[in-house]
Amino acid sequence: MNIFQIAFNNLRRRKVKMLFLMLGLVVGIATVVAFQSIIQGMNLDLGNRIDELGANAVILPRSEGVEAHYGGAMTSDLTFDVKKLTVDDIPKIYESSVAEYINIVSPKLVGAVKIGDQNSLLVGVETKSEFTQKPWFTLKEQVDIKPGERVSDLALINLPDDSIIVGASASKALGLQIGDSVNINDKQFRVFGVLNELGSEEDGLIYSNLSVVQSLLNRPTELSMIEISAYCNNCPIEEIAMGIEEVIPNGRVISMRQAALFREETIEQFSAFGYALSGMVLLIAALVVLTTMLSSVNERTREIGIFRAVGFRKFHVLSIIFLEVGMVSILGSTIGYFLGIVAARYAGPYLAQISGEIPFQFGWFLPAVLISTGLSILISLYPALKAARMDPAEALRFI
Amino acid sequence: MSEIMISLKNISKTYTSMGDEVQALRSVSFDIFKGESVSVMGHSGSGKSTMLSIIGALNPPTSGIIEIDGIDLYKLSAEKRADFRREYLGFVFQQFQLIPYLTAIENVMLPLTTTKRSNKEKREMAAEVLKRVGLEKKMNRLPNQLSGGEQERVAIARAIVNEPPLILADEPTGSLDTKTGDEIMELFQELNEDGLTVLMVTHNPDNVRYLKRTIMMKDGILFQDQDGLVKPIVTKKV
Repeated sequence: MNIFQIAFNNLRRRKVKMLFLMLGLVVGIATVVAFQSIIQGMNLDLGNRIDELGANAVILPRSEGVEAHYGGAMTSDLTFDVKKLTVDDIPKIYESSVAEYINIVSPKLVGAVKIGDQNSLLVGVETKSEFTQKPWFTLKEQVDIKPGERVSDLALINLPDDSIIVGASASKALGLQIGDSVNINDKQFRVFGVLNELGSEEDGLIYSNLSVVQSLLNRPTELSMIEISAYCNNCPIEEIAMGIEEVIPNGRVISMRQAALFREETIEQFSAFGYALSGMVLLIAALVVLTTMLSSVNERTREIGIFRAVGFRKFHVLSIIFLEVGMVSILGSTIGYFLGIVAARYAGPYLAQISGEIPFQFGWFLPAVLISTGLSILISLYPALKAARMDPAEALRFI
Repeated sequence: MSEIMISLKNISKTYTSMGDEVQALRSVSFDIFKGESVSVMGHSGSGKSTMLSIIGALNPPTSGIIEIDGIDLYKLSAEKRADFRREYLGFVFQQFQLIPYLTAIENVMLPLTTTKRSNKEKREMAAEVLKRVGLEKKMNRLPNQLSGGEQERVAIARAIVNEPPLILADEPTGSLDTKTGDEIMELFQELNEDGLTVLMVTHNPDNVRYLKRTIMMKDGILFQDQDGLVKPIVTKKV
């Protein structure tokens, strides 16, 4: 029989109290781990996006706008004097002062169409430039593929004018499979291919050749946007943006790095909220530990008196309390940790709108357990000292 | 003449409760010799349990000196008194006071917990005393799986496992029926015959015949029963 066995047997045979104590820790640690994992995933996702899009910029039609306020709250943006972007603007990019930095120019026109009884977004693109710029777009299925053949590289295909490529979500929502015939604005199209899931809004889009879509939407030469990408990640994208705006005054250039920075701000705000909430939850968990241990010490007054009467020193009584808290903390924080990373992995992408997976943070296990256990033992100092300082005669009701 | 095991000299204990002073013990003095078995009797509130707690190094007196085996008990620090209790004293409390989540053998091993013996040695010692008290087949039962008499035996086994020279028992048969109570008293008698000094607080006059000497207490003052006579001993005018 040793001190550890006394502590262990108390926990083993008083399961309800142990579970209650543990529950607070499980919830606390799970919340902290989940939040931190999601924040980590968001930062990782942002980093990947900057890596992918950092050298990219988008030219949008320039417009003027004002914010409408009512009663001190902004109700809407009012946009007016919207300029147009056209295919005539594309050569100006190559004639600008920053032409040497420009690698790919990808114009597109976006419009709403009705397919069956559903509204969908149709995007007209130059397939080679579009899919060269975005190599993460890949075909899941393609027509006329013989058994054993692989699907084509999107950047290399010649998309027929009567064909469309459907995003993963759009394919499911509209019930479209490869080879299907579909009527869009009284024109028949054939489904050339279905894209692999990207985990973003682009899964809901339908792509066709730019000229076809311009004709279909009766907006010849018009463009919704022009995406450009520089040769290098370190190219001066802000300088590129200014250079293009000089030659295309009817356009407004937004660098994707800038757009990503907006997202970084959002992530920072979410992080701050996450840290604050994690702190609150940990505090509550700590209070649960404190009140449960105080209650336990009060209930075990006679027991502590017996320990002291048979020769336990104050240190031994302290050790029993700390060992109990330590064991419960280790178990509770372990369960909380795994619960947290599983929750982050499977719920995080939906909550934080991340396209990729949230990685398991196995390196956090030991710090999570150590910090949780250390904090619990620290919080238990008061009840432990109260137990150790108990007058044994009073505890045994001799007085 | 046997050596003195317990020596009380003018022990007084006063409690303060709600501003009032309560004198639980008034200048109590007596000696108990090694190998004696002594019962302390008296009505409720006579101070007998208070005296037991003072002798048990649990409760410092307001004044007076108590020595056990020549050691001035309350000159020791609180932690040293804990060590003293472990080495010198075996306690049998009222209503057994077993730890509910420890088995019989684990309860018996409790006084050995903080000693430097190996777990194997502790277990062997505990098993030996449980066998001595007739509970070798119920070592792994929890207290709520034992009868009152069996729990009392476990409490006695716990008190003697560390081989202390002195056993202090507070109403050990208070919760037991007559037959079981007699069995327990016979056990105490055997332990005394083996050389242990026994000091027992009891209000049951039937228990007296198992013990060699009886001390009576009333209102914190000590009397002594000698040769069948009740003879008051007042060591100091109160």
